[in-house]
Amino acid sequence: MSDLWAGFVVALQPLNLLWGLAGVTLGTAVGVLPGIGPALTVALLLPVTYGLDPTAALIMFAGIYYGAMYGGSTTSILLNTPGESATIVTAIDGHQMARNGRAGAALATAAIGSFVAGTLATLALSLAAPLMVRMALAFGSAEYFSLMVLAFVMVTTLLGGVGSRLAGWVSLMLGLALGSVGIDGLSGQARFTFGIRYLLDGIDPVIVAIGLFAIGETLWVVSRGPDEDQVLPVRGSLWMTREEWRRSWKPWLRGTVIGFPMGALPAGGAELPTLMSYAIEKRLAAAPDEFGHGAIEAVAGPEAANNASAAGTLVPLLTLGLPTSATAAVLLAAFQQFGLQPGPLLFEHEPKLVWGVIASLYVGNAMLLVLNLPLVGLWVKLLSIPRPWLYGGILVMASLGAFSVHRSAGDLVLVAAIGMVGYLLRHIGAPVAPVMIGLILGPAAEQHLRRALSISQGDWMVFVSRPLSATLLVVALAVLVLGVGGRRKLQSSDETQ
Amino acid sequence: MILRGIVALLFVTATLQATAPLVIIAPAAPGGGWDQTARVIQRVMAEIEPGTIVQVDNIPGAAGTIGLARFVQSERGNPDALLVTGLVMVSGVITNASPVSLSDATPIARLTGETEVIVVPAASPHQSLGDLLTVFKQDPGSVSWGGGSAGGTDDLLVRLLAEQVGLPASRVNYIAFSGGGAALAAVLGGQVTAAVSGYGEFAGQIAAGQLRPLAISAAERIASIPAPTLRESGVPLDLANWRAIVAPPGLSDAEHDALVARVTRMANSAAWKHALAQNGWDDLFLAGADFRQFLLAEQSRVEAVLQRLAATDAAGPARFAVVVTPTTVPNITVAIFGMLAAGLAISRARGRPSRVPTMAPGTRMAAVLAIALLAQPALMVGAGFIVSSTFLFSVTATAWRGVRPSAVVVAKDLAVGTLFAIVIYVMFTTGLGVALP
Repeated sequence: MSDLWAGFVVALQPLNLLWGLAGVTLGTAVGVLPGIGPALTVALLLPVTYGLDPTAALIMFAGIYYGAMYGGSTTSILLNTPGESATIVTAIDGHQMARNGRAGAALATAAIGSFVAGTLATLALSLAAPLMVRMALAFGSAEYFSLMVLAFVMVTTLLGGVGSRLAGWVSLMLGLALGSVGIDGLSGQARFTFGIRYLLDGIDPVIVAIGLFAIGETLWVVSRGPDEDQVLPVRGSLWMTREEWRRSWKPWLRGTVIGFPMGALPAGGAELPTLMSYAIEKRLAAAPDEFGHGAIEAVAGPEAANNASAAGTLVPLLTLGLPTSATAAVLLAAFQQFGLQPGPLLFEHEPKLVWGVIASLYVGNAMLLVLNLPLVGLWVKLLSIPRPWLYGGILVMASLGAFSVHRSAGDLVLVAAIGMVGYLLRHIGAPVAPVMIGLILGPAAEQHLRRALSISQGDWMVFVSRPLSATLLVVALAVLVLGVGGRRKLQSSDETQ
Repeated sequence: MILRGIVALLFVTATLQATAPLVIIAPAAPGGGWDQTARVIQRVMAEIEPGTIVQVDNIPGAAGTIGLARFVQSERGNPDALLVTGLVMVSGVITNASPVSLSDATPIARLTGETEVIVVPAASPHQSLGDLLTVFKQDPGSVSWGGGSAGGTDDLLVRLLAEQVGLPASRVNYIAFSGGGAALAAVLGGQVTAAVSGYGEFAGQIAAGQLRPLAISAAERIASIPAPTLRESGVPLDLANWRAIVAPPGLSDAEHDALVARVTRMANSAAWKHALAQNGWDDLFLAGADFRQFLLAEQSRVEAVLQRLAATDAAGPARFAVVVTPTTVPNITVAIFGMLAAGLAISRARGRPSRVPTMAPGTRMAAVLAIALLAQPALMVGAGFIVSSTFLFSVTATAWRGVRPSAVVVAKDLAVGTLFAIVIYVMFTTGLGVALP
């Protein structure tokens, strides 16, 4: 706990408060705007934050992550086009509430629920992180490799998305293959470089993130042709009635309980916990018929779940260096840019930084409540930016971001090519997040594999003779076999709405 | 009037040339050791030569060899350019098969260095380097050495050590970690027998008694470090992770001497000594002909060990590397990717109902946009950021609408696009210091 207080001292420094505010504001903005999300925003900012103090930059990035979870709901409720994948579920009933003239209450329950869940989950993060750190110190290369195998399996089976399971694996393998381009960290040998010196350093995750999320998404949106959604005006009081409070608080807490552990699992982000929260709220509701026609529980639960899962994601990211979502993968790249390797030793070497970032999340949550409730009108205005200009702006920022990584025009060609790959993946219904996870975790997993084998002098039994590693592999196998059915069930229960 | 303008212009150009800025290339991303060295030189130079503009450029990539190649090509004959380099580049040139080597540049001076240290966990049975080497000689595979990336200073030291005790460099069971920090976790956790890194990385744990230092690689004993040198332990070997600066090729003798004098003046300044102490760097200043000698010796020693290593690798890898070679995982990945992609294509071709429409209405527009994206890099280099961004902005907007735009709409798009591009340009160049064409 004394660590956390020291963290508050860091987070409450005026300059860090300012960076935090910049982060949550920017995060809310990108959450509100369709087509641009937290992963892309952090990726775009990476090249221009080299010179910043790492603590300040990471406080800002964490703020962007949290902010996007808040902002996404505004778009879902008022536009029926989710601003973020994490708020897809919110759109179902949130938009109906807005049509019924209860937009104010929907926004309020989303914002307050996000605040409650965000704060509780951050508290859980503060408590869980030190425990995880103690456990992680026992992790050797064998355990890390097994953990990453588990992450790969979960990300692809659970994030299969609209396409087939096969599509998820195609994405992951693409990410793994891209990750092995360049100089091998263990032997110094060049791989898949085809004699091109440009490729020796490997493919920059920032370039891939920009290509997949900005360019791939824009191409995809353009290919589907224009759709003009009407932004609904915010009507009704922004304050909830007593009845709405009564119906909201339990879903908030349940959403937190579902979201936090689900976020911490390598399950690829906030989509799954929001879906689960929706399904559970429906089952527990007094009037399940109301779901789909503007039930406030269906907004309160999932909105709490997505914020809690954001905090949950930070547990494995900070303590093990294991990203469980696309945004977390980019955040990991951000740490590495500053020469920091998240993991148990980070808590030992840089306690001020880690706890400063964690403390900033409490502060950011409070800022976000103010930004998203009284100031919601401001964000609604953002939605009136004409779509053609919005996507034009996104592409300009994307090319700028890609160019500023190494100031090389070659990166622009690469980013365009990856954008087209991103378009193809969307076309075949494959999720894009596994590409990012594979790209970032792939090289680490391979190094741990080879390191574990070289320490054991070539004995493969090292992965099953160590209990922790064996457990992780068994879980991975179980997810592979059972998880598929579970996902189908979840999806079909969603589709009956 | 015009004449006066020309005169003024000439005058300005003349003064600009008189105080040509000193360019220091750091062939690495900002933040690393080479970048820090470059920035300290920049600060000290600006202090002792008031009026000189000193500029640092980062050209990261491939252990510095990309920066080296560009430096040798584009700065040839420029007496006001310096490149930061070091031991890592010497081996990087070989491992990356770089067409340009350090011999293509003009040596100026070695500046700083750091000693390496060999440690074991406090609970290890090995009390001295002798103990460790006895086991190492009996069964090389059983001693795992943790350290930084392959081909780096830590790796080199262990391989040189092996050769000194009569083992081929390829018999070393070297476990590369992404840095001293990761190797630290492995040695503390007892996963590797011993670890090697720059002294600074392990200093805290050595002081806390968690790690036992067996030997340091410096030529002479260092008062603040409670461990003997390798030489004192009976191994005639010393190695420092040195950093130096070199000039471009094609300098006249006078230009070379002037540059050496300039750097010597800097290295003798109080500001430089202060910066060394602040960063914990050892002063390894060595200039001119002596440095040229040192560089040649270092190159041949590194080349020799790496070449012997490569030769044995090609002949047949060491026993413990048989299972998974550097190419195993990538090849398997690509094979699986190919199989899955083919499987996906077949299952789609069989006409399984796909939820995604095969031909979306705007596919043609997306294709137009894709072409625009591919044209963008050339435009960015040729016509600059503002023009290329306005172009991209307008094409995207038009593609999004999916209909032939009227002149008014095009004009509006162009106006908004230009405005946006200019705002962004100003924000990034003056606000954030990102240089854009």
